[in-house]
Amino acid sequence: MDKELEHQFVTNLETNQNIVHKICRIYTNDQAAHNDLFQEITIQLWKAYPKFRGDAKFSTWMYRVALNTAITLYRKKKRGIQTTDYDSVHFRIQAEEYDGEAEKQLTLLYSAVKELNDIDKALVFLYLEDKNYKEISETLGISEVNARVKMNRVKTKLKKILNP
Amino acid sequence: MDELELLKKDWKKQGENYPRHSYEALSKMIWKRSSSIVKWIFVISILEFLFWAILNIFLADEAYWKEMELINLKEFTIGVYIIGYAITFFFIWQFYKNYIKISSTDDSATLMKNILKTRKTVKYYIGYVIISTAITSLVYLYFTFKYHMNNTAAEEAVSYDFNFNQWLLFIGMMTIGILVFLGIIWLFYRLLYGILLKRLSKNYKELMKLQI
Repeated sequence: MDKELEHQFVTNLETNQNIVHKICRIYTNDQAAHNDLFQEITIQLWKAYPKFRGDAKFSTWMYRVALNTAITLYRKKKRGIQTTDYDSVHFRIQAEEYDGEAEKQLTLLYSAVKELNDIDKALVFLYLEDKNYKEISETLGISEVNARVKMNRVKTKLKKILNP
Repeated sequence: MDELELLKKDWKKQGENYPRHSYEALSKMIWKRSSSIVKWIFVISILEFLFWAILNIFLADEAYWKEMELINLKEFTIGVYIIGYAITFFFIWQFYKNYIKISSTDDSATLMKNILKTRKTVKYYIGYVIISTAITSLVYLYFTFKYHMNNTAAEEAVSYDFNFNQWLLFIGMMTIGILVFLGIIWLFYRLLYGILLKRLSKNYKELMKLQI
């Protein structure tokens, strides 16, 4: 029975693991931290899995638990050396598709997002993932109006970081 | 805003560039030990409850009870103990109730609120320990003082022969000592939880900023 549950869960997780990687990408700055957070999220997902009723989509449910882990439950480990350039090394493989100007702007945008606080990062993440305001408000536990206002503030903040 | 749209476009494009863990790696990973903040709060809180309970048991040895009898405080002490344990159990029960409410499947605001609630229960408990310790210490101090005052005349014991000012000084110093000791304990707790909950409290405030 438990083995069955475990198999079901890991299969689901394997298919949807991109969601977890994306959250780690927004919230961490190097590969070691990425792996750390990834691990904590999978542990929390597995712990919460018995409560997953299947009335929501697995991926929707995953967004919630994973984000909660990133902004609330996870305790950052202290690390001596921070390796930078994580973004450029691991994720900017398709860079050649852009012209120089767009490439420059994107690099700036990614580093601007990194400067946001945890809650704003969550908003940006959900926005990038095409979630509507209703879903955003339900995931974070704030009203839809507030989600909208906050999102607008984040946009202003990003603009300010980009054009100081 | 076009900048965010540009980012979104790229974000989607990057979708397939993420590393992938195998089924085997993932099934190993889910059994690793969690280092979540809730686990830490739980462990520390249990240690705190245990610490004060054990301290009470060890401090109350036979000599202690004899001493209490001597200054006519045995009944009072028994009463204090009974009430003290009742209150401690009440706190543990509250803590447990709050703890099981914590669920990562709640929305973020509810989750944070529930974590802060368990933490608050412990905070009140520590506050209660500190205040009740201060009060009972002062009561004991008063009775010790009264007992010795009553007896010095009869005994003529030189060592007890404090005059009023000396007693006042003695009690004043004891009070300051007790307060400093309790203050240090209080600071220790503030620090412990302050470090543990810094990020969570900050995020919660950030999330709640617009709610009212």
